Amino acid sequence: MTDLNVETAIAPAPRRKVARRGPIVRALGRFGANRYAMTGLAVFGLTLAAVVLMPFVWKDPNGIDLLAINKPPGAGHPLGTDGIGRDVLARLLAGGRVSLLVAGVSTLLSTALGFFIGALAPFGGRFADAAIMRVVDLAMTLPPVILLLVLASITGPGIVPTIAVISLLSWPLLSRMVRSRLLELRERDFIIFARGAGAGPWHLVMRHGLPNTIDILVVYATLQVANAILLEAGLSFLGLGVPPPAASWGNMLNAARSTVVLQSYPWQWMFAGGAIVLTVVCINLIGDGLRDAFDPRADLE
Amino acid sequence: MLRYTLKRLAAGAAMLIALSMLVFILLRLAPGDPVDAYIDPMVKMSAADMARLRAELGLDKPLPVQYLIWLRDVLHGDFGRSLQRTGEPVLALIGSRIGPTLLLMLSGFGIAIIFGLIAGVVSAVKRGSVRDGTLLAVAAVGVSSPAFLTALIGLYLFSVVLHWAPSGGMLTPAMPFSLHDLLSHLILPALILAFYQSALVTRYMRSSMLEVLTQDYIRTARAKGVRENRIVSHHAVRNALLPVVTLIGSTLGLAVGGAIFIESVFNWPGMGLLLVNAVELRDYPVIMGSTLVIGAWVIVMNIATDLVYAVIDPRVKVS
Amino acid sequence: MGLIGNRTLAAVTSAALALTGLAPVAGWAAAGDKTLTGGFDVGPGGFPGNFNPLMATTGYMALTLNYQPLFVYDGKLSQIVGQLAKSYTVSDDKKTYTITLQPDVKWQDGTPFTSADVAFTLKLAQDKTSGSVYVDRLSAITDVETPDAHTVVLKLSKVNLSLLDTLTKLMMLPKHKLEKIDPSTLPRNPYWTDHPIATGPFVFDKYVTDQYVEYSRFKEYWRGEPKIARVVNRYFKTTAGAVSALKSGEIQISYVNADDLSAFKGDKGFHVIKGNSFVVNYLGFNFGAKIWDNQKVRQAVMYAINRKAIVDSLYGGMAKVANCGYVVDRYVPKGLNDYAYDPEKARQLLKEAGWDKINGSKPIKVLTYYNTQLSDNVLGAMQAMLSQVGINIVPRDVDMSTYNATIYATTPDYDSFGLVYAGLTNGPDPSNLNIGLNASQIPPNGSNYTRVNLPGVSKAFDTALSDADGSKYDSDFQNVCKAMNTDLPWATLWVTDRFGVASAKLKDFVWMPAPGGGPYASHPEKWDIAN
Repeated sequence: MTDLNVETAIAPAPRRKVARRGPIVRALGRFGANRYAMTGLAVFGLTLAAVVLMPFVWKDPNGIDLLAINKPPGAGHPLGTDGIGRDVLARLLAGGRVSLLVAGVSTLLSTALGFFIGALAPFGGRFADAAIMRVVDLAMTLPPVILLLVLASITGPGIVPTIAVISLLSWPLLSRMVRSRLLELRERDFIIFARGAGAGPWHLVMRHGLPNTIDILVVYATLQVANAILLEAGLSFLGLGVPPPAASWGNMLNAARSTVVLQSYPWQWMFAGGAIVLTVVCINLIGDGLRDAFDPRADLE
Repeated sequence: MLRYTLKRLAAGAAMLIALSMLVFILLRLAPGDPVDAYIDPMVKMSAADMARLRAELGLDKPLPVQYLIWLRDVLHGDFGRSLQRTGEPVLALIGSRIGPTLLLMLSGFGIAIIFGLIAGVVSAVKRGSVRDGTLLAVAAVGVSSPAFLTALIGLYLFSVVLHWAPSGGMLTPAMPFSLHDLLSHLILPALILAFYQSALVTRYMRSSMLEVLTQDYIRTARAKGVRENRIVSHHAVRNALLPVVTLIGSTLGLAVGGAIFIESVFNWPGMGLLLVNAVELRDYPVIMGSTLVIGAWVIVMNIATDLVYAVIDPRVKVS
Repeated sequence: MGLIGNRTLAAVTSAALALTGLAPVAGWAAAGDKTLTGGFDVGPGGFPGNFNPLMATTGYMALTLNYQPLFVYDGKLSQIVGQLAKSYTVSDDKKTYTITLQPDVKWQDGTPFTSADVAFTLKLAQDKTSGSVYVDRLSAITDVETPDAHTVVLKLSKVNLSLLDTLTKLMMLPKHKLEKIDPSTLPRNPYWTDHPIATGPFVFDKYVTDQYVEYSRFKEYWRGEPKIARVVNRYFKTTAGAVSALKSGEIQISYVNADDLSAFKGDKGFHVIKGNSFVVNYLGFNFGAKIWDNQKVRQAVMYAINRKAIVDSLYGGMAKVANCGYVVDRYVPKGLNDYAYDPEKARQLLKEAGWDKINGSKPIKVLTYYNTQLSDNVLGAMQAMLSQVGINIVPRDVDMSTYNATIYATTPDYDSFGLVYAGLTNGPDPSNLNIGLNASQIPPNGSNYTRVNLPGVSKAFDTALSDADGSKYDSDFQNVCKAMNTDLPWATLWVTDRFGVASAKLKDFVWMPAPGGGPYASHPEKWDIAN
């Protein structure tokens, strides 16, 4: 379900222009002029800095204190403590690290996977194309619940399995977009010429496929980071995801499953929920900015 | 057009068989089987007892045989029975869940589409205004909020604190059916579903409108002195709808299996909840059956979207 | 467009309604009839979706609305009294039980309940093909005689002191209905939800899958007509859902987690009911993993966990620290080691045992099927405490299916569950612990899935179970306790209290959060609701 904002944001993207060096620089210039996108970038940068640096100076996120459980925000614990007396701020920061790490790595993986599969299809010959696209269709028809539960129950919880599950869930959409862009490209003269000169699929993919889909990849990757944060939270909500004692925004939010925590100790989940929403909003703003910046029609204006 | 539709449907059928095989394999890779799901670890069980239970459920046969038996039965219209103790027929189970799922989906989407389209148009027409900014901000939060978070907050706020809505289910048990009862159960999950979807539609409609409003024929209309309201309602909206149709089509396709968090939190008796329970209990026939139904729904929705697209936009030719 | 969307929506909505089959409920009760709605199957004593008493392992609170056993625990769970049995005598060698049945008991279709039904039910419960979970527990019965319609004589091949306890869980089934059904089809048979009949106060009317079960009163119930017209047992995916339904007044009773209690504190609209869970929680050492063989290591785990602090703060004092499998005075001898929190001693013991070489800081997976917030917190606390002494545990909560598949695998991966965080029923019948601790019960033979093989413990159980006349019953189980305390087959943790919350409007409502939901003499026919 969360996959959709990727499609939404990317669908109106160009299908005709071949990128050169110039447009990328101009696109970045346009991005820099976008107020919303720059705000998003600034807030996201601050968040990133906080979660990366703060755990070095703040409390131990896993240190328990059974004499100070469920304390509301106050002196000593600015954001309160959780059910076993761990400092919520420390866990929020440590959790942000884990969540952003999971999101970042899984985005890299799913972008790479989605790109190569989507790019090999048009250049790999008719049979490979048909076979790959059927697999993509299949992956998109399979209810995500099944894949999620089965994959996660095979791999078990843990940071690496979580990354694997999220990456495996997210690539088909990108493959589809990359393929349709490159299908048009395939019929262009310079590709036909390159093939005539004996260029293999690998050469075609790296030399021509990559530069011509870079805008799709950039936008997809940004939005996929947002998506992955939400998926990680969703996995944790289903009892999978990042295992304790490591904190993640997802497993902190998961505490809200308990009525008592939901009702009486809102600080234990509210800040994590807020952090997710804030970060995803920022990333979406950045993604929107990138999309607009890479829109070739902007060059025409 | 008819030929095209038939061809797509045939390809869809082949896809469903591949899907069923994939699900079958995935299920057997997951740890635990239906027998494991109904043993209580606090009650004595010997390996012989468990083997007997497995044999009763036909789980002792080789895997390819199990799959072929299942496929043969399905081709004869028999989706089997649930492996849970009540042994209900899978088709009856799915049948009883499709209605509630469609009801929830369509109400949620209905609200989302109406609200999203209006908000998108307003936002695009008043581009740069406070109203635009507010709508955009709400939409940004909407697409960035995980469904289970909004569902939990909604449940807590409206049901526990304010007592405005019942906490779950679709109808009050053991009460005569009343529309009021149904609606009071429906409204909260539908609104929560609509929150995310309408944010999506708003954003999409807005960017689509913005694009259309810069087109030549709109400028021509303006130059001719056509009133702005008329330009928006007669020319711009109609053309801006095109990409939104695709969005709604593909979302509706995915949504049947996708409202799972909302169905879980609100205990809504839909397909998502059925599937989650079935996966937890490793109820193979129910999982296979509902995957087929959901898969078929996705495929049909995709075909329908392409057809509708062709109808709305004469430039698109299906081939 | 908005208009069109609206109209389409309306059309599809009504189509969806038609599909759902949301027809008005037939046979709707007259106004003024009282309905009790509850979450009878919420929490650990529940078993949603199980309507077959032969396969019941828990969920007796719902089952006993319609089904009834011969014997039942009294309202305090302290002794066994007759239910469908009016009285019974036992021969001197404890191998013959003569049971006299209540006269005038009728099945819900009007047929009289007789000794033939008892004999039939026992035979069915001893038949492996019926899916019965009682086969083992009834194996001592070799013969069932029915000298007349209201007398049943049970002949045993050997003394079985748990027989009456087993009979409290065995619900009587109607011979005239079930003899026509092939027993091997019973594990999955529509009969159980299609107007099954029983002898209890409420008649099973209908089951709406995963939603609720509806019962209506049986006017000719042998103890008198029930006061409430209908009972609805609603299903909830989580306890949280049930708690909010309870708070909003949609249901009148439910099990609640200990940490949910604060939500009801001081609320005059509810009664909180407290009971003994009769489940001992433990960290089970998986002896298959070969890292727990040294007794000093096991002792170190005991000393490293501050059980008292966990009970006091996480359970709010609502649990008893257990130093063996029991906490009931009867079975706890004097002079047990109380393993008071002492991390220094734990470190010392680990050093002596050479823990660095045995396992060191390698992560040890703790498998559990408990998935509440409270158990997450408990595991988090134990994880932090154990890491202080150099034992690195990683909790993993899984669904029941994964849990069972892991522990009962034919070639288990012992490293995937170096420890388990689990529970086992320790009462009212104390001999139940045998299934998880006696070496004779190691899979494939039974459920000793942490592969405990400690001769002292096994011997203590064997002695207690073979005590022919039961004269040394208490001291035998005190010896079991002593052996557990010394040999540490588990790191025993605590026995928690369990809680139910009921609306203050309910009158004469007998209920307790009993293990497995009972059965106990709950007298549903007396339940009433104030207007």
